[in-house]
Amino acid sequence: MTSKDKTSSRMLLDRRGFLGGAAAVGIGAKGLFGAGAASAQSTKTGTVRVWGEPGPYGGVGVAAMNEWAQKNAPGLKFEIESIPWDGVYVKLMTDLAARRPPSLISVESPIAMQMMAEGLLLPVDDMVDKIGRDRLVEGVKWEYWGNWKGKQYVIPAHHQPHMLLVRMDIVKELGLKDPDTWDWNDLLNAARTITQKKQNMAGFCMALGRNLCTDYHFAALLHAAGGRMFDASNKFEVAFDSPETVEALTFVKELQPYMPKGAVEYSFLQVVDAHVTGQTAMSFYWGRTLGRAAEEAKPIFEATEAFNHARNPKTNRRSNWNDFQGWCIPAQNNPYIEEVKQALLYQQTSKEWLIKYCHSLMPNVAPTYKDIANSEELKNHPFYKSKPKTVDTYFKSSLVNSSSTANELLQGVNPLAGYVHGRSILAQTVQKVVIDNQTPQQAAKWGARELETIRRENARLFG
Amino acid sequence: MSRFSFLSSDRAVGLIFIAPFVVMALVFMVYPIAEAVRMAFFSYNPLRPDLITYVGLANFEFIFSDPLFWSSFTQGTIWTLLSILFQTVFGVGIALLLHRKLFGMAIFRGMLLFPYIVPTVVIALIWRWIFNPEIGVVNYGLLSIGLINEPIYWLSTPTMAMASTIMLNVWKYTPFVVICVLARLQAVPLELYDAAKVDGAGAFRRFIDVTLPQLREVLIVVIVFRTIWTFNKFEEIYLLTKGGPGTSTFNLAVYSFEQSMASLRLGVGAATGVVMMIMLMIGSIVYLRVAGFGTEEKST
Repeated sequence: MTSKDKTSSRMLLDRRGFLGGAAAVGIGAKGLFGAGAASAQSTKTGTVRVWGEPGPYGGVGVAAMNEWAQKNAPGLKFEIESIPWDGVYVKLMTDLAARRPPSLISVESPIAMQMMAEGLLLPVDDMVDKIGRDRLVEGVKWEYWGNWKGKQYVIPAHHQPHMLLVRMDIVKELGLKDPDTWDWNDLLNAARTITQKKQNMAGFCMALGRNLCTDYHFAALLHAAGGRMFDASNKFEVAFDSPETVEALTFVKELQPYMPKGAVEYSFLQVVDAHVTGQTAMSFYWGRTLGRAAEEAKPIFEATEAFNHARNPKTNRRSNWNDFQGWCIPAQNNPYIEEVKQALLYQQTSKEWLIKYCHSLMPNVAPTYKDIANSEELKNHPFYKSKPKTVDTYFKSSLVNSSSTANELLQGVNPLAGYVHGRSILAQTVQKVVIDNQTPQQAAKWGARELETIRRENARLFG
Repeated sequence: MSRFSFLSSDRAVGLIFIAPFVVMALVFMVYPIAEAVRMAFFSYNPLRPDLITYVGLANFEFIFSDPLFWSSFTQGTIWTLLSILFQTVFGVGIALLLHRKLFGMAIFRGMLLFPYIVPTVVIALIWRWIFNPEIGVVNYGLLSIGLINEPIYWLSTPTMAMASTIMLNVWKYTPFVVICVLARLQAVPLELYDAAKVDGAGAFRRFIDVTLPQLREVLIVVIVFRTIWTFNKFEEIYLLTKGGPGTSTFNLAVYSFEQSMASLRLGVGAATGVVMMIMLMIGSIVYLRVAGFGTEEKST
């Protein structure tokens, strides 16, 4: 083994290694797919603004679009603008209100569906036909990303569920059961046992701050209990003041003593920090925790595995909250609609670029198309090799338990979810219990009143 | 001829010099205020500009019947009063300490301005780290010297979060009070102190009977300005606690922002701004009257 080989081996699990692996896959896969629909050259010039979340995947998507632009629109340059997770709602609303939207937005489904129902997005059914209607992975439908009144408005970028992350070294040390078999009582007992037996370590962590992350974490528990915010089949009547909501809030209150004390202000990053720095043995989170651990705390990376959430003992549901993240095209004040459609089509029909996209932040962004999800090239990544079960949990086995606030219990598209998250209604409801010490019943009633206000203010959306 | 003489007059020169300020004030102060007052009577969701409707006083009815508005008002008042109290006490104290001829005092005075100069966004983010319960330097220091046994969760309980935001505000703006008070101290005639000494007044008596009366006017102005600025403050609270935990550090500025941006009720946000403006105008007038600001000049 040469010194170069040794170096490569040492770097197996660092970011550069991932990107290197991804690049190799890209070269190997080139030519397997068509490079998108042929189009006439565009003579337009300028910068095409694209909004995306922080993280490299938006940049990879845009790199594919720039490859299209080099061949078909040499005067155009696609440029990604990252918006912090917690700032996405405000940024979107203010810029759309100022009538200076970007030409393409990558956003999670609650906000996409709000924009779609508001009439701000371009229908993309013609693109879906070219991408392939039967191409989605098993267990999902096009409507999960954004379909309203029979028209598709969103092209899938990825899906991204939050899972139960568990330090298996601690589980084994304390003789706890296999987390795959847990119900809520087992999770609570495990959190209690770890807190009591491991010094300076919380048993469990989820976000409890007044923010989007808490909304998403709590939504999983609400849906697992069989509860929901609105009844999509009954003109979105508010269904939040229910025994299921009370059950979910009660469970959060029971878990709270075994969480870090600071959890009441935690959002996305703090939950990751808590897990990666060893402050907690278990947490709710998306794949990013594993990525951070691989970069900063290798022993914690090696000890951590992801599981579908513990099942609710009454319903047996193991609901996660899945971010069905998609690309959407603003319909107004957008001078590059045709070019964006062509460039996005190019990216969506390129196996090379779609695999690069997934590899750019493993296992955070899961593939949405069967040909990508089942490809050998996707598996050619250090994460897949070192943690195949965990990656498959994120990518595949989570889907059977998927739920979303934008499509509650997968029973119908909900255009009001964006408003709910914009006002952090779920998080505020949780905080009524964990900070203000209200009873879960009182908090559920408060939340229901807020949801009713949103429903009333936006009744015109659903006629 | 007369036009030429007007153009060359002092009055014309004065008008020309003042014109840029007047234009800027019209564009950036008068117009936004007028627009906010107008908006307060309309329902306006920025995503539906075609649906803007006149709603009369409905936005004001909404905020006055919203418990969060009143709790934001109460919390904002507490945050303002305590911030101003500590800034004034510390500001006067530090100014008195700096009002001495010691070696290197000029450098020290310059360094004192540091918190005031650094942008709020930088300070708020640094303070988030300083207050971090697990890795923050404050807890580390307190634990190291044995003052506490377990980390304090500075931003995680309503009381501590309010205390932390007040601490940040006091730390950042006390230098402003110091500068104003120090400037006035340097203009106090020394003869007054000499006369007081001759009359047998000790240091405390001289402070009460000479220094404080001399500082009265400047303190009135400083307190009025600091009250207005603190009551309106948005970025420190939003960046440090986002109004949380819960809504325990909401003030009216954060409330207005949340109504406008998160809830897309721009009319309600504007109505909140109008109410804040009226509250501050009334408060300032009452305070200036009670404090007797400017009466000395009138009586002489």
